[in-house]
Amino acid sequence: MVGESVAPYSNVLLIFGFAVVATAPALLISRMVSPGVKKRRNPVKFLPMECGQVPSGHGRTHFMMQYYAYVLMFVIFDVMAIFLYAWGSTLLNLPRTATLPIIAFLGIMFAAMAFALYQSKRKNIW
Amino acid sequence: MSVIAPKFRLGYFLKGIIDNALWIIVLVTLIVVPLIQVLLIYINLPVVDGELLTPFLAFTLIFHPELAVPLVEAIIRSDLFHIAAFPGFGFAALMAAAVIFVERKMLAKLQLRVGPFYCGKIEGIFQLIADGIKLVSKEIIIPDKADKPIFWVAPLLFVGAAAAFVALIPVAPGGEEFDNMPWVVADLDVGLIAVFAVIGFFPIITVLSAWSSNSKYPFIGGIRALHQMVSFEIPLILSLLGVVILTGTLNLNEIVQSQTSFPWILFLPVGAIVFFIAMLAELERIPFDLPEAESEIVAGWLTEFSGMMYGLVQLGSYVKLYAFAALFVTIFLAGYNGPSIYPDFPQDIIDDGIIIPGMTGPLLTVKPFTDGTAVLDQEMINGLIWFVLKTAAVIFFILLIRGVFPRVRIDMLLHIGWYKLIGLAFVNIFIALGLLYSGILAPAGAF
Repeated sequence: MVGESVAPYSNVLLIFGFAVVATAPALLISRMVSPGVKKRRNPVKFLPMECGQVPSGHGRTHFMMQYYAYVLMFVIFDVMAIFLYAWGSTLLNLPRTATLPIIAFLGIMFAAMAFALYQSKRKNIW
Repeated sequence: MSVIAPKFRLGYFLKGIIDNALWIIVLVTLIVVPLIQVLLIYINLPVVDGELLTPFLAFTLIFHPELAVPLVEAIIRSDLFHIAAFPGFGFAALMAAAVIFVERKMLAKLQLRVGPFYCGKIEGIFQLIADGIKLVSKEIIIPDKADKPIFWVAPLLFVGAAAAFVALIPVAPGGEEFDNMPWVVADLDVGLIAVFAVIGFFPIITVLSAWSSNSKYPFIGGIRALHQMVSFEIPLILSLLGVVILTGTLNLNEIVQSQTSFPWILFLPVGAIVFFIAMLAELERIPFDLPEAESEIVAGWLTEFSGMMYGLVQLGSYVKLYAFAALFVTIFLAGYNGPSIYPDFPQDIIDDGIIIPGMTGPLLTVKPFTDGTAVLDQEMINGLIWFVLKTAAVIFFILLIRGVFPRVRIDMLLHIGWYKLIGLAFVNIFIALGLLYSGILAPAGAF
């Protein structure tokens, strides 16, 4: 049954919900106890923090991080890592010869990663 | 110029608290209590020890400790208790508070700070309480153009995700009476994959909060956090593959039980080291605390959080720290396994409880429950003590590194993650394969 196999996962969701419900009152209590925001409204107080300077421009702008290559590589290698778990957890039930294709797969991925890392140094292409 | 701190009076502060308390009492009496009484008509009350648990019976049981044993058993074994108190959120929050306290003391020792030793008579314990009160009583300021719903929810989501991580860690053995069901909130067949899934939420929450605040420093911090967590997720995942290859299971409790003779750190030290370093990066702790680098980008993605919102993010990050340390213990340091610390209880105490002359009834009942389970399960307590000791040791090393290391640059960080740790993680996989195929370590009947 689907329900039975999913049932243990509900506890993870429940503890997530419990943590949210149990800590949300802290925000409410803080809201009640702390000096009121509305009463002493001062436009300067609600400006974004920029070390005392008057903020200029938008907060949500383009920002050149220069390490975009790594994020692109993550998309591939994270999936690869999870695929390796599917292989690793059933390894004991597989014949020995089944390990060779996986090592070949690792070799291909490793070579691809080496090439991508080599390219990632050339930051002007990203 | 407006006055910076206009008329704060302790009297007003107390008046605010008393007013709120009064309103809570009025609302509870007028609305909540009648609502409970109406609801009781419709709720199916649980049956404890063959009797219907009415509120009257519940109160009777509470005041007769002898009779309350089945009630206590029913509560302790319920899912809600698991989630709220012992292996779940309450335990983790307690550990987080202890970590915060110990961290301040340790840093004070290491870096010659004096505050944590003076506040309060007993070893500066009031510093924690003072911090809590300060955080609650501070005003929550949100930037004007922030995306307010997301900004409000982000700290709660952070705490929730950390709690969901805690839910997957087996804390103590359950004993034979419970079919070796461990003390864990969610005993999943794919526990390790679930751990990775939960870890994957943190960068998303970080980037959401950073983007929603509409401020530049949080934005830069959020992007740094994204790069860092994303880069170190791969060595983190790969470094645990060796253990999975050798145990052939993804269930965390089975991984713990596979280490009754020896911990995996003896055979896979490379994986343990890679996991520890990746763990530091995922936790955003020194030397990898670039997302919160105070000297560069104010407070990183936490810049716009104020008051209790900041407090909740801190709570979440310390719960996460506990959870990561517990995961390290679970996978590499044999979890709750350990030699018995104290000798077995004498049989007459197990049978009759501790009896003091002149008192009617036993002081402490270790008498088995109606279905044969004991109140004080010695195996469980022993396992819990070992688990907490090992977790404390791992947390000690995390804190020690915070005390003595400087911060690295972001390009160095990414270089470490991508060039060195991933390579070492692959080395670890081949060590595991070598151990397996050379026949040094293999489960009975595997080949």
